[in-house]
Amino acid sequence: MGILLFITVLLIAACGLIYELIAGTLASYLLGDSVLQFSTIIGCYLFAMGIGSALSRYIHRGLAYRFVWIELMLGVIGGFSSTLLFLAFAYSQGFQLIMYALVVVIGVLVGLEIPILMRIVKERYHFRDVVAHVLTFDYLGALGASLLFPILLVPYLGLVRSAMLFGLINVGVALWSTFLFAKQIPAARGLRSVCVVVICALAVGMAQAKRITAAAEDNIYADEIIFARDTRYQHIVLTRFKDDIRLFLNSHLQFSSRDEYRYHEALIHPGLSAIPAPRRALVLGGGDGLAVREILKYPQVESVTLVDLDPEMTRLFTTHPMLTALNQKSFRNPRVHIINADAFPWVDSNTDSFDFIVIDFPDPTNYSLGKLYTTAFYKAAARHLSAQGSMVVQSTSPMFARDSYWCIVETLKQAGLKTYPYHVYVPSFGEWGFVIASPHEYLPPTSLPAGLRFVSVDGLPAMFQFPPDMSPMNMPPNRLNDQVLVRAYDQDWKDISH
Amino acid sequence: MRVSRRKFLQAGSAALVGLSVKGDRPIAGSFVNDSFQLGHLLRDRAAFPAARRVEKHAVVIVGGGIAGLSAAWRLNKRGFRDFALLEMNEQAGGNSRWGENEITAYPWAAHYVPVPGPKATYVRELFEELGVLRNGQWEERYLCFAPQERLFLYGRWQEGIEPAIGLSEKDREQFRRMEEFIHRFRASGGFTIPMERGLSREQAELDQISFGEWMRQQGMDSKVLQWYLNYCCRDDYGALAADTSAWAGIHYFASREPEEKGPLTWPEGNGWIVKRLLERVGTYVRAGAMVHRVEPRRDGVSVFCGNVEHRAESVIFAAPTFLAPYLVEGMAALHDFEYSPWLTANLTLDRIPATYGSDPTWDNVVMNSPTLGYVDAMHQTVQSRVERTIWTFYWALAEGTPGGNRKMLLEKDWGYWREAILRDLERVHSDIRQCVTRIDVMRFGHAMARPKPGAIFSDERHRLAKLEGRVLFANSDLSGFSIFEEAQYRGVRAAEKMLEKLGGK
Repeated sequence: MGILLFITVLLIAACGLIYELIAGTLASYLLGDSVLQFSTIIGCYLFAMGIGSALSRYIHRGLAYRFVWIELMLGVIGGFSSTLLFLAFAYSQGFQLIMYALVVVIGVLVGLEIPILMRIVKERYHFRDVVAHVLTFDYLGALGASLLFPILLVPYLGLVRSAMLFGLINVGVALWSTFLFAKQIPAARGLRSVCVVVICALAVGMAQAKRITAAAEDNIYADEIIFARDTRYQHIVLTRFKDDIRLFLNSHLQFSSRDEYRYHEALIHPGLSAIPAPRRALVLGGGDGLAVREILKYPQVESVTLVDLDPEMTRLFTTHPMLTALNQKSFRNPRVHIINADAFPWVDSNTDSFDFIVIDFPDPTNYSLGKLYTTAFYKAAARHLSAQGSMVVQSTSPMFARDSYWCIVETLKQAGLKTYPYHVYVPSFGEWGFVIASPHEYLPPTSLPAGLRFVSVDGLPAMFQFPPDMSPMNMPPNRLNDQVLVRAYDQDWKDISH
Repeated sequence: MRVSRRKFLQAGSAALVGLSVKGDRPIAGSFVNDSFQLGHLLRDRAAFPAARRVEKHAVVIVGGGIAGLSAAWRLNKRGFRDFALLEMNEQAGGNSRWGENEITAYPWAAHYVPVPGPKATYVRELFEELGVLRNGQWEERYLCFAPQERLFLYGRWQEGIEPAIGLSEKDREQFRRMEEFIHRFRASGGFTIPMERGLSREQAELDQISFGEWMRQQGMDSKVLQWYLNYCCRDDYGALAADTSAWAGIHYFASREPEEKGPLTWPEGNGWIVKRLLERVGTYVRAGAMVHRVEPRRDGVSVFCGNVEHRAESVIFAAPTFLAPYLVEGMAALHDFEYSPWLTANLTLDRIPATYGSDPTWDNVVMNSPTLGYVDAMHQTVQSRVERTIWTFYWALAEGTPGGNRKMLLEKDWGYWREAILRDLERVHSDIRQCVTRIDVMRFGHAMARPKPGAIFSDERHRLAKLEGRVLFANSDLSGFSIFEEAQYRGVRAAEKMLEKLGGK
């Protein structure tokens, strides 16, 4: 029985430390300032253990019976501690209060464990052996837990399931103790059934842990998350609020279904309608299929080639019912060819020519994306233009990122193209800018496809007018060797947010 | 979750010792392309086979580095075909050799050319021919992509190698003063590339003292400035400022005022230029052909290579000049030619360290490291994402004496250098061992000419650089330092002199 007893000590010591580490880690994750979080949590926890030890003297009888109950309570409270904390952060204002209360309760219970256990076994062994062994295994358990936590538990199980696993161990100890101290426990059978119930509850919890964190994350984002995935290239999140679907790539808003028609009609029609007989179109970026949807409104277009880096993105917009409703199943259209490739190398190696090229990349927030806004890239893209061809470029906001916008215009000019900048208002984005670029003269179209909700022939001239607060800035072109655009873009947004 | 018992125990025990989980990924690699053995055959006057066959050419070029290939380029361009180029190594290119694997091409040594100024007319001519310079515009794809350089100091990365953060008022004042000096020296016209075009006795005094001494005389005692100037000397000359002529130290800064943000670079470094040159003159090149004797005769020169005697009217000796006394009959020993030993390594990374720390950058330097940092061979890609790459690690063995360091290069095994390199990188990338699968190391006993005090205005050097007699010397070491522009200049000059001589006959 001796060794079993000391393994019990080892296990409960590990459980106690794990709950403390979980509280500290969670607080650091959610609140930041890990030094403060860990210090205060360890302090509170140790203090609460002291309270527990002090309280142990008021327990006179039924030590084993009470020990089992303490383990059961620890199993439940500790096991669900991280779940409770996640939900508290998402749904309540009093996260810190709840967290410290939890730490104190767990601390008190853990503080009770060892003194009671020592008193249970003091009859059987010499006092000095009891103290030496119990404390040795107590510290060993703590060492084991502190190593397991960062190496295995956090990376493989996550915080929610780690807590539940150790809750299970606490309850396991409770169950086992009913056998270990069977002689001292009168109503063992009843206790055992309670243990089984708690074990079932924790097991179900472990199986459902994903749902719990998802529920908490849902509430951290403003709207309901209908899809979230980390692909090789980006973090895709789709949210829905009533009838508004929003797409975020790496936390940057890409569209809102309420007003995306403004963006995509403006992106496509001023340029494409001006081409007499467009047959072949190319879309670079635009893995949501919304630009393609607009291009498909031209029956004379025989083929649309879409080059997007991320196969998960195009698959999502080919299969998700809510999204195919939005892009009108454009990716399933036989005229559309999807190529999952890196745009710059693709443009370099491909030799096809196109009547209309749409360049719709995320904003130039880093040097990798910045390469797709350089003279080198635009020259390479322009080599794909047919005799009558022209291209259009998504060019950030001439209002919020005015330097960046005019830098893109200058870059297209330096790539040897004539430029025709224009802008529209998209409520979820604000003022947004585009540039039509072409080796030859551009004349705005005199007719447009039927059924457009935003772009109209009468409204076109106003798009090409820039009021003084968005008027041209003198900017150098963006080249691979200096990437002034990335710096300008960074500065533009800093100026707005400060 | 699948963790084997062995892995678990490893993780557990590693955690006990270092509190971080370290995988035990084996790192492959070896020494590659050492030319020690070949060189030492010459040094030790080993026996070579007697000539069994005679080949006749008007001109024989000894050495297929940039100088030799440039001589060949000029001869060929002028319609002159009667020549052969003999290269000791299996691969031509000298310090501009390169390698290739399934990830990318990568350099073994020289990896860039600064955007050449107006005086570097031959370099500009070559670059126009190669499409690097077109209608006065430098090809964007060959200019180093942004961000070019970064420096790790005080626990973080800054953009650019000149220290810009954490400077005291004194540091700033001295950097400013240094800049003013450079400005004045540049305006003097005495510091040019090619160096011969501006070289003037007016600055001869600077060659009498070391760059370190010159700094002391100017009262420049800022530790940060000293680190920076030392770094520059190590980078271009493989020597510390205290071992570098002040003239050469100043030349590094005062000779260049680029018209465009550069430098020019390619994944395989200057190997790209070698490839283009070989496309033009490869048919004249005999690789793996070690010359073991050059014998001037009354009516020409005999060049002995393997069992062939190449009879030429003249020879362009483009190999490092220190080899000449071992090869050329009757040539006296040299005193003013010293060389810095180097080590380069190519590291194959099958993932980018999580500790990378900024946007992908071309040249990465760590302050107060004895090494020169690493260059990313995948930087010049237009891909938007790089998952695997090659880092070329540069280490000029500048501390101590060149002789002592050469000895160390020879004695230490590959495992020693692997560890030294990984430990140096671990200063900034603690997870480097989990990212590297292969480290190949190349040792250069005589990597580049070392412009010690007195080297620039050395009479011995001037005498050999004069392009007189039947053996014309063309290596960049005749400039006192080894850079692409000087090598190309001397190769082209030797070829022109040769054409003049042969044409005038």
